[in-house]
Amino acid sequence: MGSSAKKKKEKKKDFQKQKLKVGKARPKADNHTDTSFRSKAIVLNQQLDVNAPSQSATFLHHVSLLTSRSDSQRRDSLAYLTSYVGSNSTSKGNALPITTNALLGILCPLILDGSAGVRTQLLKLFQALPQDDIRDHVIKVLPYMRAGMTHLSREIRATAVEFLSFLIKVAGPELVACPGGWYQTLECFTTVLGWRSADASTWSSSKASFAGDVKSTARIMYVLAEFLQAGLGTDDSTDPSLNTLAADFPLWFTGALVTPTKSNAYAYLNVFGAQAEDYNQILDDREDRLQVFTNRFQPLVVAGVDAAKKEGGELGRASGVLTKTLDRTQISANA
Amino acid sequence: MVKRKLGALEKVDADLANLQNKIKRDPKSYQTDFLYQHVQYENQRQIFMQAPTSASDSGVISFRELIEFVAHVSDCYKEETKEFPRQLIEILSAHHATLEPELREKIVGSLVLLRRKDIIDSNTLHQCLFPILISTPSKSLRALLFQKIISDLRTANTKSINHKLNRTVQTTLHNLVTDDRSSPKALWAVKITREMWKRQIWTDAKAVEIMKEAALSDNEKCVVGGVRFFLGGDKEREELEDESSDEETVDMGKLRHQIGVNKKSKKAERRLEKAAATIRRKEKKKGQPHPLNFSALHLLHDPQGFAETLFSKHLQSSKSKLNLEQKLLVLQLVSRLIGLHKLTVISFYSYFLKYLTPRQPSVTSFLASLAQATHNLVPPDDLEPLIQKIANEFVSEAAAGEVAAAGLNAIREICVRQPLAMNDTLLQDLVMYRKSKDKGVMMAAKGLLGLYRQVGAEMLKKRDRGKDAALGLRSGDQKQQRFGEEAVGEIEGLDLLEKWKQEEKQRRRLEKGLDPEASDQEGEDDEEDWNAWDVEEDDSDDSGGWINVESDDEIEISDSDDDKPSTKKVRFEAQGSKSDDKENQSTTKDDPDAEATTTQSKSSLATTRILTPADLAKLQELRTTASVSSLMKNHKAHHTARTAQTNAQRHIDDPLTAAEIEGLASLSQGKSTRAQKLALLQEHRDEREDHKSKAARKKDRKESEGKSTTNKEKARKKNFLMTLGKAKSKGKRSLVEHRRILKAHADRSKRGGKRGNRG
Repeated sequence: MGSSAKKKKEKKKDFQKQKLKVGKARPKADNHTDTSFRSKAIVLNQQLDVNAPSQSATFLHHVSLLTSRSDSQRRDSLAYLTSYVGSNSTSKGNALPITTNALLGILCPLILDGSAGVRTQLLKLFQALPQDDIRDHVIKVLPYMRAGMTHLSREIRATAVEFLSFLIKVAGPELVACPGGWYQTLECFTTVLGWRSADASTWSSSKASFAGDVKSTARIMYVLAEFLQAGLGTDDSTDPSLNTLAADFPLWFTGALVTPTKSNAYAYLNVFGAQAEDYNQILDDREDRLQVFTNRFQPLVVAGVDAAKKEGGELGRASGVLTKTLDRTQISANA
Repeated sequence: MVKRKLGALEKVDADLANLQNKIKRDPKSYQTDFLYQHVQYENQRQIFMQAPTSASDSGVISFRELIEFVAHVSDCYKEETKEFPRQLIEILSAHHATLEPELREKIVGSLVLLRRKDIIDSNTLHQCLFPILISTPSKSLRALLFQKIISDLRTANTKSINHKLNRTVQTTLHNLVTDDRSSPKALWAVKITREMWKRQIWTDAKAVEIMKEAALSDNEKCVVGGVRFFLGGDKEREELEDESSDEETVDMGKLRHQIGVNKKSKKAERRLEKAAATIRRKEKKKGQPHPLNFSALHLLHDPQGFAETLFSKHLQSSKSKLNLEQKLLVLQLVSRLIGLHKLTVISFYSYFLKYLTPRQPSVTSFLASLAQATHNLVPPDDLEPLIQKIANEFVSEAAAGEVAAAGLNAIREICVRQPLAMNDTLLQDLVMYRKSKDKGVMMAAKGLLGLYRQVGAEMLKKRDRGKDAALGLRSGDQKQQRFGEEAVGEIEGLDLLEKWKQEEKQRRRLEKGLDPEASDQEGEDDEEDWNAWDVEEDDSDDSGGWINVESDDEIEISDSDDDKPSTKKVRFEAQGSKSDDKENQSTTKDDPDAEATTTQSKSSLATTRILTPADLAKLQELRTTASVSSLMKNHKAHHTARTAQTNAQRHIDDPLTAAEIEGLASLSQGKSTRAQKLALLQEHRDEREDHKSKAARKKDRKESEGKSTTNKEKARKKNFLMTLGKAKSKGKRSLVEHRRILKAHADRSKRGGKRGNRG
């Protein structure tokens, strides 16, 4: 209420403005606490280290910063890692402070990162990494790649396609041969291009994926062409006219007898894993892949290509490339 | 964990909830978008399966959200999501111990959602959830699963009883209990069964069987759970039922009035409709026949075996690990079983012998159990040493008042059930305590005396017998029952029905032609006839549920505990009528001279005629009337009837408690201190609300309804300082001013206040 004069006065006091005067220190606030103290000596319990932290320590520090909340922090750490990997790969025998497996475990989720800068920087880092290492860990990267391709955010999808393109270039054969690498990735492609829905064959079907974004659709089709080439194209190294069994003439079945070059040579036997369904089977052989493709995906792809051809322009050109690839692989299959 | 802040653009894009909403409205058009998300889910699942333990909340959308999304739209795309439930079950069963809690909860929720959408059936759901419930180390998950399982069972049983599901679940629970008797996992079976029993979803013998097995397990918790169920499960069920029937009583009149007075709005109209629907539903429910609810103790299969095993396993055996409290619970259950089903477990009585000393902790519970385990087929030789021991240990001049009272009460409770257990020297000795100065002891001894005046007057000394008993003995009406003797069975209240029928006939004759003979007959009968008339009138609109209480008549309850007819006989006589062996039979007898005729007609009515449902309803009504009027009886009869009532009024399902044995122990405590008095006052504080004045109650009501106060009240409450100014100037007013003010006041009051309606 504040009925009495005393109370009124007290209340007024709270809202009175403090008068400042020239040449005088600013008056202290009411709740000001004096924190000054006197002491004979000051002991710092953590002194500044004279030696700079070792390179590997900085590396680990930046790896830990990859899960930071701030976008720029993540991007900067990636940039550091890129430069580190780049400088070290030149001097042979200087391995990374942590295993590639562990590093990839942290890097892969960043494929789905919301910030564009982080993703582009990540791609650079991937390019800088030793290619053999990536080849060994394709299985690990691939699900993230596919998740990225079907992400709700359009930008993430676009970058994921770039990642895939890079991966095909670096580790094409491993990519198509790993469990689910062929079937599921093709499924993913057809979904992204919108060729799997019921009304896909009609020209008026809605392109939900990139909704009229011709450029990225064309890009996906190019990557699909690369992918098919990697999966169905024949190796140039082996001459089909030569008998493979008797390549090194005095010896037969050399391929089966020498130490395998792959990390897990008998993976296709799937001795210890769970029972494989047809969607995540290991398709190590070109013939198997071709069979899966012709049985499951060829009608979809052909119909999609036809529809794209009719649109012309960028899409038409991309579909031309795709048709050419298909023809080439088909010819090589027939040969 | 703080969620990562999303940029505006990301938000627009990565909005699964939005997409889900769109899909639900038009699944066909958004199929491609769904396929996208399904592939996304599929890949996220693979990523997750690579490292289930280190599931990180990475990226813009998490695995969790994708699961939720797919679960919500799975009914729109059944073909694509065929595998979805299986995958969820797989993840949950394999990794439930290591999963991140939020994800785990989401998966459980999604499975339940799929069940609600009828994509998976209840069996699959239970097969997935139940093993996790009993094996998971996480408390929160267990609570969640328990709740989900219960709610699913409830929803599965709402429309009609889902026998198939119930059977499978019950079999699972039964197996759980019986497979490993020492594991504490069986506790979940106990919990689920108890919950379902409480909600009246499972009311069959199979559920009771589960609890029986639990009571016989080796784990103490399970034993206690099972035993508690038998001791309190039915009460819990009744309470829940009462609660649910009490809730939301709607005052239709008030609502209708409000709609007439207040502004008309759709909301109010809707509320009225809803209230009307509630009332209609309630009426319908009232019309439905009451579902037969047998108590768990009655649904037991082989109670004799159960009681024997319980006794030998948990009480007699030296290996039993139960503590005293738990043992008492088991003891209560065994004694309930013995008393209720009249079982014979001879060694049970000698077991008590060592516990019957006043120094034994919670000895009153032991005494209550002993009394409860007594029935008329227990050999008196087994009981005699026990009674002797109680008398020696508890009832003596040296013992404290409470102790002696408890002992006497216990002896009385035993003797109510088996009067032959007493010998006359001891009885005469104990009866002498009625002269005790201690009030509790005196009352207890008087109770014992009253009892034996009815059931064994010849054991008392002549001057203790009292007038009624002495007369009865002389005429030969009253004689002690022999061991194993059963009263002749009859349908309870059949004589009442007979009498009522006769009156009915007379009344009809009277209505027809005023037959002088009939009127004569009626003249003979006294006011009771008029009561019967009333009953009939009441019967014509028997929805009222009123019970007539006779003011005063000669029907007298002379009931002893052992005239319960054997149920078989009742069934035979009832000829297909419902025999309610649950109810304690309190027969009413007429005057000695009328008795001969009634016994004759009794048998003839039940054997010559088929009792119609209307007859049975009337019978029930008459029975209630009789029992209520017996309670209302005041003088004379009251004295003898009361001891009998200790047994007759007790429902056979109700347990005998330690409090009853302690009886009026508070009377022997002497004067209470001031602190005790204050505590007592505090205890009854809220009861004082009931004794408020009318005005105060009205004021409370107005206040609670948010209504305003009267001017008078406002004036009374006005701050005293505010009135000062007026009081000061009041003295200085001139006469003219004063006159003007008075006039204005008179005028105002005539008009009816400042804003009166006249001018």
